[in-house]
Amino acid sequence: MDEDPSAEETTFVVDEITTVIKEAVESTIGNSSYQHSQINQWMSSIVESSLSQLTKLGKPFKYIVTCIILQKNGAGLHTASSCFWDNSTDGSCTIRWENKTIYCIVSVFGLAI
Amino acid sequence: MANQPLPLSQETLAQFNRSMSTEPGTSGPPRRRLGSISTRRSSKDQSKDQPHHRPLFLRSMTIPSSESSFLSPTVSNSHISMGKRFSFAGWHQGGRVSFSGLYLQQPIQEVYVENTYRTGPEPGCHFSASRTQQILQATLDSYLKGVCYSPDSCSQLCQMLADLVLSKLKDVNPPRYKVVCQVVVGQSGKQGIRVASRSLMNPNTDNYTSAVFQNHSLFAVALVHGLYFE
Repeated sequence: MDEDPSAEETTFVVDEITTVIKEAVESTIGNSSYQHSQINQWMSSIVESSLSQLTKLGKPFKYIVTCIILQKNGAGLHTASSCFWDNSTDGSCTIRWENKTIYCIVSVFGLAI
Repeated sequence: MANQPLPLSQETLAQFNRSMSTEPGTSGPPRRRLGSISTRRSSKDQSKDQPHHRPLFLRSMTIPSSESSFLSPTVSNSHISMGKRFSFAGWHQGGRVSFSGLYLQQPIQEVYVENTYRTGPEPGCHFSASRTQQILQATLDSYLKGVCYSPDSCSQLCQMLADLVLSKLKDVNPPRYKVVCQVVVGQSGKQGIRVASRSLMNPNTDNYTSAVFQNHSLFAVALVHGLYFE
């Protein structure tokens, strides 16, 4: 009985992380339009709030949170990632969010200690 | 059953060799590879009598060859599928083959590693941010020089870049380090874009680098994080 919860804690669970990140993004840039002057502030806020929420989950993981904010202009964008890690315990998830003028892509990588 | 096939072996070998010589290579690379293995085997069997090799070869042949000699194309095809398995496993592990001709897998032995009692990386073995940055920049510059953005090919280009960077970093990666590499490729339009990253890591052992490339039609950003596995 003691082993099961610890086994669950040491794997990367995508669903709860997706929820956490979506909340962080919505609360920061929910209804805003792209403004060059505010971008720095938005980025820091999204990334910091995501990371603090992730630490509150209390799992034995190291996290990397990457955020890309792109103005909607018709230009194309591709992102790819490749990782050298332990497949059984580590994982990643990518969350895409958009409104009328902004695309926001947040990638979270979680690596077990 | 183990004794009977011996007289058949010469016939089946000859049959197989005939089918190999007559059939053109339909599935090129696997056939050629197998062709080299099987001719090696057959030449070995003909020149030197090695009884412990023969049973392996025969058991793959006896299953379809029980029907007739017309089946030489199917014989060779099935031999491809079975021979492939034999080639990398049966030979090296001493060939455990059951009576029915199915290959018996060795039980996977779990590897137990001793505890090293190491809590941090060795003094010379830290993740070198500067060296990684040089590798990253050089890779981006060499790969993307003169490339034009195209929506169809750039997704593959992006993935290929990520894999390429990872493979280059694996060579210089110190032991017990995990590497996460992310590449962003976009079209150079008149839009604004910002890429930011923050991580929860141990600053004594872990680090990250990034590199940027830009030309007239596209831009690329590569981020690499190296994390120590405690």
